Amino acid sequence: MDNKENIALDYRYELPVVEGNLKKSDIDDLIAAPLEKKANKNFYISLALSGTALLIGVVCIAITLFNGIGVWGNNQPVGWAFDIVNFVFWVGIGHAGTLISAILFLFRQRWRTGIARFAEAMTIFAVMCAALFPVLHTGRPWLAGYLFPYPNQNGLWINFNSPLVWDVFAVSTYFTVSLVFWYIGLIPDFASLRDRTLSKTKKIIYSILSLGWRHSHRQWQHYEKAYMLLAGFATPLVLSVHTIVSFDFAVSVLPGWHTTIFPPYFVAGAIFSGFAMVVTVLLFVRKIFHLEQIITLNHLEKMNKVILATGMMVGYAYAMEFFMAWYSGVPTEQFVFINRAFGPYAWAYWIMISCNVLFPQLFWFKKIRRSTTAMLVIVILVNVGMWFERFVIIVTSLHRDFLPSSWGMYSPTLIDFGILLGSFGLFFTLVILFTKSMPAVSMSEVKAVTEGAQPQHHGVSDHE
Amino acid sequence: MENNLLRYSNKALPKRINAAGFILMISGFSFGIIAYFYDAQRALQNYLIMYLFLISIGVGSLFLIALEYIVNAEWSVPIRRIIEFLASLIPYLIVLALPLLIKLNIIFEWTHIAVVRDDKVLFDKSPYLNITFFVVRAVVFLLIWNLFYWLITRNSLKQDTSGDQALTKRNIKLSAVFIPCFAITITFTAIDWLMSLEPHWFSTIFGIYFFSGTIVAALSAVTLIVVLLKENNYLHPKIIDDHLYSLGALLFGFVNFWGYIAFAQYLLIWYADVPEENFWFMHRWQNGWWIVSLLLIITHFVVPYIVLLSQPAKMDHKKLKFSAALLLCAHILDLFWIVMPSSQNSSFSISWIDFVFPVAGIGIVILAFSYKAKRENLLPVGDPKLERGLNFHL
Repeated sequence: MDNKENIALDYRYELPVVEGNLKKSDIDDLIAAPLEKKANKNFYISLALSGTALLIGVVCIAITLFNGIGVWGNNQPVGWAFDIVNFVFWVGIGHAGTLISAILFLFRQRWRTGIARFAEAMTIFAVMCAALFPVLHTGRPWLAGYLFPYPNQNGLWINFNSPLVWDVFAVSTYFTVSLVFWYIGLIPDFASLRDRTLSKTKKIIYSILSLGWRHSHRQWQHYEKAYMLLAGFATPLVLSVHTIVSFDFAVSVLPGWHTTIFPPYFVAGAIFSGFAMVVTVLLFVRKIFHLEQIITLNHLEKMNKVILATGMMVGYAYAMEFFMAWYSGVPTEQFVFINRAFGPYAWAYWIMISCNVLFPQLFWFKKIRRSTTAMLVIVILVNVGMWFERFVIIVTSLHRDFLPSSWGMYSPTLIDFGILLGSFGLFFTLVILFTKSMPAVSMSEVKAVTEGAQPQHHGVSDHE
Repeated sequence: MENNLLRYSNKALPKRINAAGFILMISGFSFGIIAYFYDAQRALQNYLIMYLFLISIGVGSLFLIALEYIVNAEWSVPIRRIIEFLASLIPYLIVLALPLLIKLNIIFEWTHIAVVRDDKVLFDKSPYLNITFFVVRAVVFLLIWNLFYWLITRNSLKQDTSGDQALTKRNIKLSAVFIPCFAITITFTAIDWLMSLEPHWFSTIFGIYFFSGTIVAALSAVTLIVVLLKENNYLHPKIIDDHLYSLGALLFGFVNFWGYIAFAQYLLIWYADVPEENFWFMHRWQNGWWIVSLLLIITHFVVPYIVLLSQPAKMDHKKLKFSAALLLCAHILDLFWIVMPSSQNSSFSISWIDFVFPVAGIGIVILAFSYKAKRENLLPVGDPKLERGLNFHL
């Protein structure tokens, strides 16, 4: 640690959340700028790239719907493959946003204000990507309506014993609450934009979206209460969604799937991957839209610490599974883990271990936590690693189970890759459109954490 | 000790608290010795419950201190000394472990060579479950906890006179190293002392289950003491209900966490229903044990959840004291529920032996606390974050 750092950190004072003495009006200007300026060439280039990826996905989905899921690599015994891997991957990505906006809100972490809005948007887009896959996986998506329990003429009733049905409820509830939470947070900002804009059409749109918000005292009071309540609702949801996703696997009796650590381990993994994706995207956003003073290096460093912590939790789970497989004395259990690490899919396992457990350890060093290049490399590796984690869990457990006579191998087809690419296309297209249509950072919340915006409570007596 | 700037002076705890702790400990242990000659297995099982209860409070408190440093919390700085005093149980754990380590064979099936030889599963586990390695692990864990306890609290205490900010920085680094060590040591403590009581059983979440109970117990102890001290005017007047709210909210959060982990473990084993693991829960349901299972859910989750749910409840002194005391009992019940059904053919029964060791344990906690409280400041007067912590408002 160099001396300059030592002097700079004075524990008597809190670090300012917003850097560089921005005035409140400067904050509004900075955040609203992308919405008020005309889009430049880079915007269209990036939109074209992600749109192309999206189109490839659409074509591959069309091929799937036309021919059936036989065009995928799924087979006997690997009946779940890319479809479910991608589903779990995207649901995991969708965990950071609501965690940041709800749980960090309850923890009174003021730094969340700079990143909450964007992370919430990413949550919503990621859950949309995720929802695509189980629906396609059923093979007949037009029958998906029967997943909801309602009395119908066909006398079809869902199997409440199945965690796959719990998934439907968990994910749709999570999506709804996240969307409402996000929208509630946007209302005061829509009102600010309404008051700023000079364009007639924009004014009408923002007026409708802002629900007649006038920034009055009473409105703020209601707003804060609603926000607190929604944060309370959203918190158990963040944890429940990936818990239930983990149940999809863990309630079975398949070695490698059935293990009791799955629920907390999946939640930690989801936060890990979600934060990695948020850092990945924010690194570009803060640069492109000149938000370095609002999404500061301190923000990124804190997120990197969360990545380090959750990465170690995931590593703990890997180790615990391995240890318990040995300790259990169950031969199939032991075989599955040996097969994971040294079998035909060992390459995937070691990609997972190195990306999720080894590389994030570099975040122990402050220099690396604060270097944008280094963190970009690490967080992308984490994203890769977390995708492979789901691949390892799903494919290696299925491809060799109790009966060696029914062992098999899995290899994806081009269509599988096309749909995966398409989901990234969908995600980034939505992200790019979001940056141009809504304030990417909460204007009202960031202004509330600037220096001098908080009440000082000087009225409280400190006499004995 | 007076500190003019903070308008704070240390007030000594009344002597009768020390005496009460002493009486509880001595009477608990003397009855405990009688219990040992009366029913050695039951006595030792209960001694194990007490030992783990003290680990929960001592080591759990050290974890809470590390957590404060690592997340740079300010609200908990004014009450950190209370947590440090509770962590001072850690050195005593070394002595307290001795009776267990000497008499392992009374409660642990896998220590009997004849049993292990005839049982394939236990035989395969013997590289891990053998007396030498078990003792080595127990000793190493105790040394790790003591090392970090000594380093972190020493820095904190030094700061009282020097006010040196570098000490905070050093403690942050120590805490960052301690937390992974804590995760590993507490997991294997749970596996060794609790899971291996029924050596055929395994559950990957078990370490986290014990961890969740540990933190609930430590937080309850802290909350109970803070509220009691505040009501009797031992604390700085600027430690107000907003601080209590933070404690209440954390306690509420960890009650939920415990419920979540306990439910996850139960649901997955119940749903899959494979004979390698389901017997563990059956031992805790059959032969009358269902009463304890249900009581555990009610006392460790349902009641504290309902009591602490609302926002005002989290700073209500009465409700905080009630839930904290209840949760401390519930943690003992949790350990009782894990330990007692493990002995063979045991149907549920309560004996006077089950009460003497918790009494001794509570006595030890009180003694350790009042010993420290007599000698050290109740407020970390030199901590650079103290003023922020005292001015804390929701």
